[in-house]
Amino acid sequence: MNNRVKTPHAQVDFNKPLNFTFDGKQYQGFAGDTLASALLANGVKVIARSFKYGRPRGIVGAWAEEPNSLVQVDVGARTTPDLKSTQVELYDGLVARRTTGWPSLSFDLKSISGKFSRFMPAGFYYKTFKFPASFWPLYEHIIRKAAGYGASPVVPDADTYDHKHHHVEVLVVGGGASGLMAALLAGRAGLRVLLVDDQAVLGGYLPSMPNIKIGDKTAAEWTANIVAELQTLPNVELLTRTTAFALHDMNMIQANELLQEHLPLSARNPNQRRERLHRIRADKVILATGAFERPLVFGNNDIPGVMTVSALATYANKYGVLVGKKVAIMTSNDSAYQAALDLAEAGCEVTIVDTRATTHPTWAKRAEQAGIQMLAGHAIVAAIGTHAVRGAQCAALHATDNKLIGAGPSLSCEIIASSGGLSPTVHLFCHDGGRPVWDEKCLAFVVSATGRANADIYCVGAVTGAFRLSEALQQTHDVLAELLTQFGKQIDIKNLVWNTDEIAPMPARSIFRVPDGQEEGRGAKAFVDFQNDVAASDIHLAIRENYKSIEHIKRYTALGFGTDQGKLSNVNGFAIAAEAMGKSMSEVGTTTYRPAYTPVTFGTLAGPHNGATFEPRRYTAMHAAHKKRNAAFEPVGQWMRPWYFPKNGENIHAAVQRECSAVRNSVGLFDASTLGKIDIQGRDVREFLNRVYTNAWSQLAPGKCRYGLMLDEAGMVMDDGVTACISDTHFLMTTTTGGAARVMTWLEKWHQTEWPELEVYMTSVTDHWATSAIVGPKSRAALQKLCTDIDLSKEAFKFMEWRDGTVAGIPARVFRISFSGELAYEINVDASYGEAMWLALMEAGREFDITPYGTESMHVLRAEKGFIIVGQETDGSVTPFDLDMAWAVSLKKPYSFLGKRSLSRADTARSDRKQLVGLLTDDPNVVLKEGAQIIENMDALSTKPVPMFGHVTSSYYSAALGRSIALALVKDGFKRRGEAGRMVTWADGVATPMTLVSSVFVDVEGAKHDA
Amino acid sequence: MTPDLMRSPLHNYGLPARAKAVDDSCGAWANEEPLLAYISLRGNANQPTFLAAVKSALGLDLPTKPCVSISNKTLSIFWVSPDEWLISCERSQLASLQASLKASLNGLHSQVVDNSGGFTTVILQGKNVSEVLQHCTVYDLQNLSENKVVGTTFGKMSLFLSRHNSGYKLVFRRSFADYIWTFLTRAAAPYGFGVQSVD
Repeated sequence: MNNRVKTPHAQVDFNKPLNFTFDGKQYQGFAGDTLASALLANGVKVIARSFKYGRPRGIVGAWAEEPNSLVQVDVGARTTPDLKSTQVELYDGLVARRTTGWPSLSFDLKSISGKFSRFMPAGFYYKTFKFPASFWPLYEHIIRKAAGYGASPVVPDADTYDHKHHHVEVLVVGGGASGLMAALLAGRAGLRVLLVDDQAVLGGYLPSMPNIKIGDKTAAEWTANIVAELQTLPNVELLTRTTAFALHDMNMIQANELLQEHLPLSARNPNQRRERLHRIRADKVILATGAFERPLVFGNNDIPGVMTVSALATYANKYGVLVGKKVAIMTSNDSAYQAALDLAEAGCEVTIVDTRATTHPTWAKRAEQAGIQMLAGHAIVAAIGTHAVRGAQCAALHATDNKLIGAGPSLSCEIIASSGGLSPTVHLFCHDGGRPVWDEKCLAFVVSATGRANADIYCVGAVTGAFRLSEALQQTHDVLAELLTQFGKQIDIKNLVWNTDEIAPMPARSIFRVPDGQEEGRGAKAFVDFQNDVAASDIHLAIRENYKSIEHIKRYTALGFGTDQGKLSNVNGFAIAAEAMGKSMSEVGTTTYRPAYTPVTFGTLAGPHNGATFEPRRYTAMHAAHKKRNAAFEPVGQWMRPWYFPKNGENIHAAVQRECSAVRNSVGLFDASTLGKIDIQGRDVREFLNRVYTNAWSQLAPGKCRYGLMLDEAGMVMDDGVTACISDTHFLMTTTTGGAARVMTWLEKWHQTEWPELEVYMTSVTDHWATSAIVGPKSRAALQKLCTDIDLSKEAFKFMEWRDGTVAGIPARVFRISFSGELAYEINVDASYGEAMWLALMEAGREFDITPYGTESMHVLRAEKGFIIVGQETDGSVTPFDLDMAWAVSLKKPYSFLGKRSLSRADTARSDRKQLVGLLTDDPNVVLKEGAQIIENMDALSTKPVPMFGHVTSSYYSAALGRSIALALVKDGFKRRGEAGRMVTWADGVATPMTLVSSVFVDVEGAKHDA
Repeated sequence: MTPDLMRSPLHNYGLPARAKAVDDSCGAWANEEPLLAYISLRGNANQPTFLAAVKSALGLDLPTKPCVSISNKTLSIFWVSPDEWLISCERSQLASLQASLKASLNGLHSQVVDNSGGFTTVILQGKNVSEVLQHCTVYDLQNLSENKVVGTTFGKMSLFLSRHNSGYKLVFRRSFADYIWTFLTRAAAPYGFGVQSVD
């Protein structure tokens, strides 16, 4: 079957045939087709089965408003579910299939239940699948399967996506007549202009109404002239195939551009993106988003072959497709007449059923001349047919009241097209809080003619209710003239015309639901929302069940949900609700329009934040050396740190035991570069440190270091680290790896806002210093080989001191500090030398079998010494006293330190808080789970809820001790240490008996680090 | 100084070996200006003695207006915040520059910190280079005039962005280098990406 007609203005290229497949069958279309126009050209009527009742469905619209024909396009990695066939550009070799209808489109199992649709009212699922609650997952599974729709790809995406940022003075959304004119006027004024439009070809609705004259030009000539001029303006950018889908605060608009979806697979550039997300920040936004035609609601209005008049006209005029030869058009307004004339001219047999008793004399005359049958004062009350329209049942309408006054003829036709007027595309206008208002003259929810000028949002054209082209263009001119003055610019209308040969319209009839003479719910189903199978009767039922707010009615019935977001259905739904409640449209109002206007793929939203550029990763200067040694890495903050260095196929446990033994018995090397480092200078550094740390800094001599605890205002530990006194006015602070930025901000905040009188400046030097920690009893001997200008002897260079010198010929600052309890030196160098220093130390330690170790061994070594890790032993609710670290708190400092006052709060000061203790399991081979709960004993399990005493914070196997160890926070833990501390940990249903002990397991007296 | 032991943050990409003269075969070209010296300077710009001391050490007026970058043959200064600047120069100048700054500022409340290991510079050029940057940063490049430097986003990271010859200059932390370079080359892929030679 071929429905092609070479209409004179068709934008398809009849010389470029394209082959495509739908549901396994081969078809032919032409370049310029959409999948929808090509399917209609081939006479394919049933494209889908409906969501709830399994009824056959066809194409209703021609743009983003299409509710029915959701298709799966392409296969494998590129497959995309639920695209509207009206939005899929045809390319050679396109493969598409249905997303609904099981087992087939011609027979759908759900259609049997559809026969009992009287028993599937609104809220059917809520009411039916309610009990028992334990069955919900099962119900969901079955309902989802029955509902159908497309499938997500199951293999990784083969394409790439990106984001692009724009800053413009004027963004125009919509490339129809008004949008083009707005962009031209703003562009001529020299403003930075961006215009986005979702279609491949600019012009909006103009290609669908090619017989209109603008000035002495055809619509096509008028459009071409403007586009040509826009293309010459360097300050104007035009983006086609780009849908603005969200408008956010401060005029940030997001738009999705399809870069390659229209190309045959073989022509797609692998270096080019598939889609691009444009993030546009605009001084002024001009919404020229137009309007969609609203169908009338009547019995069986979902049979394939029922569509909007504008869609029917578009397929004929723009795509050269006559969807059917015998057409019945029902209208409430004059706009359908030109479409009827176009169709008649193209060879259709057309009947106009005008719901108005009186028709426009000019249109009536033209219709008559074109051989069009006229039936005024009538309505189509029901479509006739099952899988395709076969006819239309008409009835006579009362002249003013929407009720039937008599029978009407039964028409034989293949297509029923209806027009209930236009519904402005107000979505973007509403995204950041705007509301449309009901205009009784337009019979539409419109936005104000000046938009929301105070929010720098302007509206032009049909979206404001200016439905006639000449009126829309005049309004566009007026808005632009006003807008340009705000930029100090003059409007330039040279050679621009906008008078048209349109006929002044007669008032439209206010009608939405066409009456069928029966109580709602008794007659043929009249659908409002096709995608969600919401009928007029469902809205009435919701109201009978006492739903009063349109937002609730929407949610109860599912009106306006789905991928079309109710673009066709919403206003009809509001009107039916208004009528049922006896309220005005203004009183009912609208539901809330939210982004996205049309669906956006995850690929586009993710853009470049994927794969290697998903999450920023920071690397130390020694990273290449670690990689060469096959280190396993773990992310710490954004840093990638060596986790462990497996040798000969070791697993993590074997590697960590080997690394820990090497450190305790000989020497290890650790990359400590990621620790935050802050250089602090000024006369008042000591006082500043006194205030941000818990301990005292007034007396620390140059050349010495001290460990400090930092508390938040609540007295809870937020960071720790070693700070070195370089001189009386110069200190170098280290922070935890993950806390570096937070601490820097914290210091600046307190200095800038509370203590500006203190003379200190601070600068992050985290990235400047690369730090190699050489750790273990042999570390001195190894370091000595590389360093002659620092006296490394025990007496000359003591624990917690630092020296400047040269190591391996490289200027270095050496700290004698230790996070393992062993003799250790941390060698800091300009990071440019970081790798050289690491390699030199590895070489120097070779005779001692120096062993590089990672964060896992570092954790074990410090836990053996009971050293805390902020964020592991602490969680924002732990004080220094809870950690048994009173030694690090000086309550006698003359000026209070941050958090000090909170330490004396009743709750922080009580002695039975959760406290840090060590744990030893009865079975030395059992390594407890970190996070495991601690309970008093097994009997406690019979009390509900089980009294919990704390949890395991760190747990490891200690090679040094040949057994497991753990740290834990336990209520009143200090008192329980020792024999009184027989308790049980409980995790995953397993109880483990253990004893609470001191948190220091190894070298309690600290002899080793002092060695 | 032992230059042969020094490694710039992008050392492992082997950029010098890949470098070519800029032409129209690629839309965007970039390379690292490796191993420059960077000094962080902080002080009170409202204090004439501080400004005078810096000028006598650097031979340049410290920019006190936001986002201003100034330079002469030997060094460039980025305004970072009202009391913070980033000075960059050749490595060979580092010791003398630092010494003269410290000497001039002796006794004045200020901070001079060698941050040379902590930063690097990447230069960009090419006919599509602005478009490539539009994929990377939210900043409005039309506002980036000559002698302007802004701290802005680059993917999920941050850096200093300024104009440089007919292209741009990026200055960022050492540890960000891998992410920023990967993000940049990915963004440039649709336009063609080349490694440009640096003098």
